[in-house]
Parts: sequence; structure tokens; C-alpha cells
Amino acid sequence: MNTQLLLIQVFNGLVNGAFYALLSLGLAVIFGMLRIVNFMHGALYMLGAFTAFALGQAFGLGFWPSLIIAPLVVALIGMALERGLLSRLYGLEPSYNLLLTFGLTLLTQDLVKQVMLSQYAVSSAPYTPPPALSGVVNLGFVVFPKYRLFVIGLSLLICLVTWFVIEKTRVGAIIRASTENPMVTRAFGIDVSKWVTGVFGVGVGLAGLAGVLAAPIYSVEPYMGAELIITTFAVVVIGGMGSILGSVVTGFAVGVLAAIGAALYPPIANTLVFILMALVLLVRPSGLFGLPEGAR
Amino acid sequence: MTVIPRTAARTDRERLTRAAWLVGLGVLLLVLPRLIYPVLALDILAWGLFAVAFDLLFGFSGLLSFGHAAFWGSSAYVTAYLLGQGQSVPVAMLGGTLAALALAVPIAFLSVRSAGIYFSMITLAFAQMLSFLALQWTDVTGGENGLQGFERPSFLGLDFSDSVTRYYFCLALFAVGFYVAYRTVRSPFGQSLQAVRDNEPRAQSIGLNPVRFKFTAFLISAGLAGLAGSMYAFGHGVVSLEVVNWRTSGEVVMMTLLGGTTTLFGPVVGAGLVLLLRDVLTTANLPVGIVTGLVFVATVLFFRRGVVGTLQQWRRR
Amino acid sequence: MQKKLLTALVSTAALAAVTGALAQSARLSDNVVRVGVLTDLSGVYSELSGPGSVRAAQLAAQDFMAANPSFRNKVQVVGVDHQNKADVASNKAAEMIDRQKVDVLMDLPTSSAALAASEVAKNKKIPVMVVTGGTTALTNEKCNKYTFHYAYDNYMLANGTGTAVTKRGGNSWYIIYPNYAFGQDLNRQMTAAIRENGGRVVTNSDATPFPNTDFSSYLLKAQSLKPKVFGTMQAGADLVNVVKQYNEFGLRQQGIGLGIGLLFETDVAALGQDAFAGALATVPWYWNLDQRSRDWAAKFERSFGKKPTWAQAGVYSATMTYLQAVARAKSDDGDAVVKALEGHRFSDFFARSAYIRPQDHRVILDVYTVQVKPRSQAREAGDIFTKVATIPAARAFQPLSESKCKF
Repeated sequence: MNTQLLLIQVFNGLVNGAFYALLSLGLAVIFGMLRIVNFMHGALYMLGAFTAFALGQAFGLGFWPSLIIAPLVVALIGMALERGLLSRLYGLEPSYNLLLTFGLTLLTQDLVKQVMLSQYAVSSAPYTPPPALSGVVNLGFVVFPKYRLFVIGLSLLICLVTWFVIEKTRVGAIIRASTENPMVTRAFGIDVSKWVTGVFGVGVGLAGLAGVLAAPIYSVEPYMGAELIITTFAVVVIGGMGSILGSVVTGFAVGVLAAIGAALYPPIANTLVFILMALVLLVRPSGLFGLPEGAR
Repeated sequence: MTVIPRTAARTDRERLTRAAWLVGLGVLLLVLPRLIYPVLALDILAWGLFAVAFDLLFGFSGLLSFGHAAFWGSSAYVTAYLLGQGQSVPVAMLGGTLAALALAVPIAFLSVRSAGIYFSMITLAFAQMLSFLALQWTDVTGGENGLQGFERPSFLGLDFSDSVTRYYFCLALFAVGFYVAYRTVRSPFGQSLQAVRDNEPRAQSIGLNPVRFKFTAFLISAGLAGLAGSMYAFGHGVVSLEVVNWRTSGEVVMMTLLGGTTTLFGPVVGAGLVLLLRDVLTTANLPVGIVTGLVFVATVLFFRRGVVGTLQQWRRR
Repeated sequence: MQKKLLTALVSTAALAAVTGALAQSARLSDNVVRVGVLTDLSGVYSELSGPGSVRAAQLAAQDFMAANPSFRNKVQVVGVDHQNKADVASNKAAEMIDRQKVDVLMDLPTSSAALAASEVAKNKKIPVMVVTGGTTALTNEKCNKYTFHYAYDNYMLANGTGTAVTKRGGNSWYIIYPNYAFGQDLNRQMTAAIRENGGRVVTNSDATPFPNTDFSSYLLKAQSLKPKVFGTMQAGADLVNVVKQYNEFGLRQQGIGLGIGLLFETDVAALGQDAFAGALATVPWYWNLDQRSRDWAAKFERSFGKKPTWAQAGVYSATMTYLQAVARAKSDDGDAVVKALEGHRFSDFFARSAYIRPQDHRVILDVYTVQVKPRSQAREAGDIFTKVATIPAARAFQPLSESKCKF
């Protein structure tokens, strides 16, 4: 592989990585705080993309307002589900959450499909990049779409902000503490449960944001998150469950590695992440950045 | 998680209940092909045993495998392949089961050291690799066209072109598989397994080697899943990529939870319910995802112990 | 269970009156011809076939009964969802034949499901007419005496587009294909057709992972190779991703055309036709091909509320062809109908110059290479294709000499 191709694949990989990072960041935040493996994350990503489309159809809102409003809508839906359904399962085996969120995934996918069919006669939604970001830019070694550069940049920015909030602010300190040791945090008189709904909202809001970002470049259809969620799980596990930094770094890294792998032997791209996961877990059973289960 | 207290002094009543369940299930399975279409009945046996196998690992060892399709699927493929090569039914099914078992040795070895979500994910990883292999290795698996039309030669005068004959043949295998699971759970080995599940450090302190117990449980579970997979291939005469897909791994989790984990019968009941629902939906003109999704959500919210678990709980009140 | 299935019967006619005399000319098993449409009623293919296929079969049954009074109230249509699973397809195929006494199976999207149902039907000696399933295995190594392949297959798609596009001057190609049998087949055939017509494939075709969402590396490669045509053998959601990103990377503006292996009207609708503008593909039919087609499409739309896809029109045509064979055979017995179908020549709004080859049961018909119009040129909603070339039936499909079929 020559340097030019390598560079191209790094950029392609960063775009995919940007989505992995946003999604796994959300999953990691939720898992860290609530110990929930949110199977619904892919469906909420899909919902973000469709919300952007619906906002455009119903209120004529373009990409930019949707980029802010759609994740908020998804966050609200997520928080309602957390309050109404997920909260009934706290303290029980995590497998119940898996069953519940799996059921909700099937439900959401088909609901979106039925609504789309009844309104537009097709279940997919066309969506294009905003005018300001359409077109391509010459990077010297390759001509790359502007929008994709924007995706990489925005995803990095959001991840940095999230990391900053968690590492440097009081809110973050509470989240970190309750993530790492809910008992002790409670002992200090901090009501962890008060933060739970909000944190869940932020986590799924990030999925919604990824969905809006994906809408202009990927097919917007009801099953768009179905395969992605499995890959995202793998990313989170490689990074170490609950590790904020781990999920972001791994997200981008997996994106880039898969792209380079795909250049060498294309069919392997989907499976590469699982091979990687198996290898990492064999060497570090708690992921690259994770603490051992017992240490929590 | 533990539904039934596992003390040595089990009351007679409980023993009676258990016997009643066993007889009830047995009678139901004997007449099942008269109640529903025989191939569907056969499907319930295969998936039922698959779910029992899964629960052996999940319910009784606390290990949630999200990659059990690897064993079910590899066995289904090997069985179909051997039948296609002109092997007899018992040889092909044994071959399938052994293939699943052989595959389980390295996977179990590498995965039982992990716990919780990490165990789920590492099993998923291996299943995904197998799924990739199945898509690529078209000479053996037929790729996305799948395998169909393989022979099922008569054996000892049993005419396997008749679906009712296939059903009763599989019922016998199911009984063997179920008995193995039952004996495993009730044996001292099973008790130790549950001790490991409930409190690993304590189990270790009384001299049990958790890794070894989990490893053995994994192999038994994979072997039974393999037997179930060979029943599936033999029963349908069709194997497609679906059998190694992660959705299949997910489906068996759902069946088990729906029926009730650690109840032994529960997974069979759960498999039956999911398959009957799926069958009704083929002609019901309802959106499959919405109905299935609602059933899962309702189960978690209202019948958390699963159907059988909930019934047992009511009885005990 | 049985009762549920019965109530779910989607029938176009009332149950045949038990007292009614047998159709004077035809011997029908239990006095009714039952057409079983085994399809995807709720999944990914439900929009392009699904409920619309069931409706198309119902319309065919109605029209047939109107034209053949002796069959009045004697044709029923049953729609069953195979959920795109091969095991469900095989299960339901057997159950429909055994329990619901279905006399023919129709449609069958998803190759593995089509092959599974075909195997069951062979054992039970019931004809199958595969319309939405596309694998050439059905008329090659997996062919059987009871299976007929209607409408399209991989060979016809690749051969049609590869030939027509190359002849029109699109003589240098870069092809990507999903890495599974369907894609590999398409790629092989497309490459052969391009070379045969004096074109060239500028570099080895690339196998992409399946399923896949991001095709940027291949689009960038196309950008640097500058072929006249970028050929994509992806289907469904993957195809929509490819085309969306083809637009994003601005390949059209760089003079790189788009050649598509398998294109359904629903794919175009998913992105809007401007995204596909200029793309070339081969189809067995489209609704505004000519007046005859428009008339039928209008009738379908009045009944179903949507314009027909070519798959749905194919189901109508296949159902009609089957029913007419029943009339000719004066029986709905599988063997008799198969005999009446074999070697039959016919022409309807969908299948022109059609001929059912007795050797491999490939139903050959004229097919069309079409180009997607930009929206500005569409005269009405759904007016998406312009005909570029008609490929006569005799040249559109795999020649018999190449077929691996042995009954």
C-alpha cells in the first residue's frame, strides 16, 4: 500500500470512526452510570436521522437547526423511556435490560417504518448535506467531500467537550464517582438517582446526534442502526466498558484500522472489529482502558 | 435470579410439581404434531433444546453467551453437508454435534476467564468470525443461497421423508438431550456450578475451581446446542446463513428469558411461544417487529420470571 | 391454529360453493385452484413485492375468472409472510401445500427462501413460479421439474446492462460488488458482457463487505481511475448507500456514469430520482413502458393505491400464465400444469415474446435497459425510466448451452 492510499484510508476511517466514537461514547456514559447495556442505541441513532428528516418535512427546518433539535428530541424520548420503563428494572439482572431494550428496538424500527410508509409510501428518507458543506475540497493527496471533514471535526469536538465536562467539572466528578463506585458516592450524601435520567438523556442524545450527522451520507432507513449497534458494542468493549476516554479513542482507532484492513482485503472489514475485540480481550480481559471488574 | 431454593430437603410437594410438569410437557410433546403442523412442532423441539442448552450456561452458570449461534449453526451446516455427501442420518447428526463440541473447546478455553458483559462480547466475537466464514466458504455452506435438497436416507426402516417420523425421531433425541441437561443441573457438578455462579470467591475458598466448572458447563451447553442444530438441519432440510447470524444468538436469549430461566422447562416453553407467535404472524397481516417487540417489553415488565417462572411463583403463594 | 390460518386466507373469491357443479371442462383438486403467494410481507422486500404482490395475484385471479366463466369462484389467492427466512419459507411452503391445498407457489424474494421453497415443492410435485428471487441457481444446478423462473435473474441483469452501456460508448468500467454469491455472479457476468462488446474493465473489480454502509474508499478509487462507468452490483440498502455517496463525491460531475446491477423502483424512491439521474440498469418491465402497461398499472393503482413495481407486475403475469396453463391442462394437477407450461409461447403486458424453455424452465422475455430521468424531465410522479434499449428475449437470458440444469 502506498502512502497516498494509506492517507486516504486514514481519512475514510476517521469518518467511520467519528460515528463509532459518538455512539460508543454515549453507550459508555450510560453503562458507566447505569450499568445498562443499551441495545436500543442503534435504534435511537436511526431515530435521530428520521427526526431530522421529519423536522424538515413538517417545519421546513434545514440541517443546522435539526442538528440541535433532533438530538434533543431523541434525548427526551430516551429520558421518557428511562423514567417509564428502564427505571423499573434497576437492581435486577442486566439481562432484563437487554431483553427490554431489544424489544424496544424491534418496536421502534417497525413503528418508524409503518409511519414512513403511511406518510410517504417509502420507508427510506432522502436527505442531503447542507449547501454550505456540499461539494468537495482538494486536500492535495485526495479530493474529499467537505461534509465528511465537518463530521470528523464536529465528532472530535463533541467528544472533547464531553471528556472535559466529565473530567473537569463538578457534574463530571459526580458522574465519575457514581460510575466508579455508586455506593461510596451515595455515602457522601450525593443522590445518584437524581443524575441518572439526565445522564441517560445525554447518552442517547449523542446517538441522536450521530444519526443526524449520518443522514446526509448514509441511507436513512429503519434498519440503519441494526448492524451498527453490534459493531458499537465491540468498540465499547475494546475500549473498556464505561471508560469515556477508551470509547472515544477506540472509536476512531477501530474506524481507521477497519479502513486500512478493507484496503488490503475488503470483505474482512466487518469482521475485523470482532477479531480485534477477541485479541484485545485475550490480552486485557477488561478492555484497553477498562478497570478490572473487581476493581469497581 | 434463583427461583427454586436448592436445598437438599426439597418438599414432596415440590417434587410432585416437578413430576407433574415433566409429565405434562411429555404428553404435550407426544401429541404436538397432531395439534400443529409437524415441521413447526419439530422446530419447537430443536429450538427448545437449543434454549435449554443456552440456559445451562446462562441460568445455571451465570454466563450470558451472545454467540451460541456458533454451535447451533456450525452443527447445522456440518449435518447438512454430511447428509449432502450421502452419509446416514445418525452419522451426519453425530458429526454436526461433534463439530460444535470441537469448536467449543477453543472458544470455551478463551472465554470462560471473562465474566459479565465481556464474556457475552467475546462469545459474540467468535460467532461473528464464524458467520464471516460461512458467508465466504460457499463450497461448503452455499453462501447466501444456503443448503437445501440434501438427502435424508431412511434408517432402520424409518422413512425420514415423512415429517411426523422425523418429529418422533427428534423427540427421542430431544429427550436424551433434556435428560443430559437435567442430570447436569441436579448432579453435584450442577450444585457446584450454581455455587460458583452465586458467589465465586466463596466457591473458590471451599476449593472449587471456577474456571474448570465453567469450562465443562460451556462444553456441555455447546454440545447440546450442537445436537439441537443438527435436529434443525435434519428437520427442515434447509440451512441458511441465518443460523450463524447474531440474531439467532439473540433469539435464543429471548426464548429463554420469555420462558423463564433456571426452570429447565421454561426455555422449551419460551421457544414454543416465540415460534408459534412467528407462525401466527406469517398470516396475521400484522407488523412482525411491533408485535414481537411488544411481547418482549410486556414480558420484562409483567412476567419478569418468564412464563414458567411466573407460574411457579403463583403456585408457591 | 388451523382456524387462524383459515381466517387469514386472503381470498379473491368466495369459497367455492360445495353444491356448485365441477367446472365443466377442468378437473380441479377440491374444486378450487389456490395460488399461494409466499413473500416478504413486512421486512426489507415488502415494499417492492410484499402486499403488492398478493394484490397483483388477486387481480390476476379476478381477471382470469372474468375471462373464463367456467372458473367462476374457483380461484383463490393466499398470501403468507416468509419473513425472509429460509426455514420459515420451507415450513410454510410445505404447510400451504399440505394443509391449505395450495396448487402453486408464487413470488419468493430472497434467494435462500426461494431455493428452500422450490425444494419442498419439488418433493410435493407442486409448481413454483419464482418472480422476486433472482438467483440463477434456480435454472442451473438447483433446477427442478416444478420450478419456473419468471421475470429476471442475475444473468439477464448483468448481460443487459453490460452490453447496452458498453455499446453506447460506456466502454471503460470499474466495478464493485458485494462479496457473496449474488454479487460475485453479477460481477463475473457483467465483466464478460463488457469484454464481449469491446469494452474493458480498467482494474480488478472490488469485493465489498456485506452489509456495508460506507463506500467512500471505492468512490475515491473510481475518482482516480476515471472510468466512464462506475458499476455497482450492490442491492437494496447497500445500493442506496452507494448512490448517495456517488452523489456526495460528485462523480457524475466528473463524467463518471453509474451502471447498476439490480435496480427496483423502490430504490429510486428512497433517494429521489435526481440522485439516480443518468444511472443505467436493466429491468424486465416498468409501468409506463407503453400504453398497454400504463393501462394495467392504472388498474393496479386503483386497487392498491400505489404504482406497481416490476416485481409486482411480474407476479400478476406469472399468476395469469399459471392459471391459463391450468385452463389448457384442464386440471390443476402439478404434473399436468408443468406440461402445459413447458414450451408455451405467449405475450402479455409484462412478458413480451415470452417463451417457457422446457429444458431449464427459464421464462424468457424481452427486457429493457433503462436510464433514470432527472426529475425535471418526469411527466408525472413515478415517471422515472427512459428506455435505452430493448433486449430481445432470445438474447436476454443465459443461453441453454451454458445451463447446468438437469432435471
